[in-house]
Amino acid sequence: MRRTHWGRWIGVAFILLWTLIPIYWTINTSLQTDAQVTSRPANYLPPTPTLQNYAALLTADTDTAQAMRASIMNIVIECLAATIVTVLLSTLAAYAFARMRFRGRQVLFYAVLATMAFPAYTTLIPIYKIMSWLGLVNTYTGIVLVYVSGFLPLATWILYNYMSSLPRSIEEAATVDGASRLKVLWHVVVPLARPGIVSTAIITFLFAWGQFLFPLVLSSDLSTEPLTVAIAALQGRHTVPFSLMSAAGVLAIAIPAVIALLLNRYIVSGLLAGSVK
Amino acid sequence: MRLFGDDAITSSIGNTLLYVLIGVALSTVLGIAFAVALQRPFRGRSAVVAILVLPWALPGVVEGIIWVSIWDGNTGLLNSVLTSAHLIDHYQVFLGHNQLLTVFLTEIVQVWQITPLSTLLILAGLQNIPAEIYESASIDGAGPWGSFTRLTLPLVRPGITVAMVQAVIATLNVFDQPYVLNGAAATGSSVTMQTYFVTFQNLDFGEGYALSLLITIATLVISFIVLKLVYRPVEF
Repeated sequence: MRRTHWGRWIGVAFILLWTLIPIYWTINTSLQTDAQVTSRPANYLPPTPTLQNYAALLTADTDTAQAMRASIMNIVIECLAATIVTVLLSTLAAYAFARMRFRGRQVLFYAVLATMAFPAYTTLIPIYKIMSWLGLVNTYTGIVLVYVSGFLPLATWILYNYMSSLPRSIEEAATVDGASRLKVLWHVVVPLARPGIVSTAIITFLFAWGQFLFPLVLSSDLSTEPLTVAIAALQGRHTVPFSLMSAAGVLAIAIPAVIALLLNRYIVSGLLAGSVK
Repeated sequence: MRLFGDDAITSSIGNTLLYVLIGVALSTVLGIAFAVALQRPFRGRSAVVAILVLPWALPGVVEGIIWVSIWDGNTGLLNSVLTSAHLIDHYQVFLGHNQLLTVFLTEIVQVWQITPLSTLLILAGLQNIPAEIYESASIDGAGPWGSFTRLTLPLVRPGITVAMVQAVIATLNVFDQPYVLNGAAATGSSVTMQTYFVTFQNLDFGEGYALSLLITIATLVISFIVLKLVYRPVEF
């Protein structure tokens, strides 16, 4: 199979260039001054690398910097809360669907799965109406509830597949010893299902971090606006230089990029458990 | 029927169909190519997969911002490279003038985001193919291209189907990338963007509902067509 090797290496080189050039370009732009960014031809390396754009976004005493700091806080709080609640509820739901027999189990399970076939934005207008009726627009509770309701079906499906593949014998032994359902779940199933739970948590967190249209509609003022919405507003002004925009971009991709690179195997296994079949 | 009389909405429907066509075709072709490149184990493969997945994990809005600085007419990377290579005489404005070019360049950004998942889905299908099938094919005299078209492609059809359906759903609902790259300009506007403008800026909730129903039905119909055309059960 020697002759096929060059084809593979061209493919691998293309994957790396296609993925990394745009990210490199943003980092490169973020380390230049406004004047350097306008040079023709462009600077392929920052001529005098500077962190001034990051300082202008993070530590300056301007409206822009205040909005950035607030929106970074908001996105972290909303993503963590959505992840914790989703993982907790989907673990309970997946266990019930995988192991318990109750009336309406199948109908309920298919109903949960069926919601995944519809595009998420279908629910945008009804959700907005419900949230304004409940007075939850521009609150953490509101946006977290929306994220949880959106991510719960996929999370339940991934964990259901994971738990169904675990051997029943250990659980049965624990039940015979007199442990309650919840005790079995907590002391036996959760430790065994840990890789699946970690995958679910990471994928949920990354989905929440990437949200834009829902928070654009539901949490668009400084008290709850996440980083994605704040950055789009910054870019929408058209007067913000690319150097500053790029630094804001790097801030918004830093956390998901590190998670994706370090915890990659959990993402891959979770995505495959979530979509194949 | 009010929907089809409105120019902004008619052009957004045309744009969205182009987004779907370009996005599904490109992400599937790239997904297959990337998956084949990663099919056999080699040293460093898991690092390449980790890098490959990166665009999937990043927010669409920020990917729009990243690519604006590549496509930009005054300072963009593309202009700089094309000018240095003497392929164009002077800097060009790529976005916002020509409809097809605007949609194409905007969709590239979304393809960048959705191709990792397509690749993983197709790669998972490839790894289910037993190695003996390739061995007996090469004994029968099939070259690399022959075994790709006559073995790999037919055997990985279920994976390709799932990849194409996720691409259909993502592209039909495209919002973040055209919102950042074009703003409200009609040249690249999608139906989901129109839904947003109509509902939350003009406050016409009825028309907004109608548009989002249109997208839902289109998603189900096009996904079903892809399923019928591409899916074939496979047994090893």
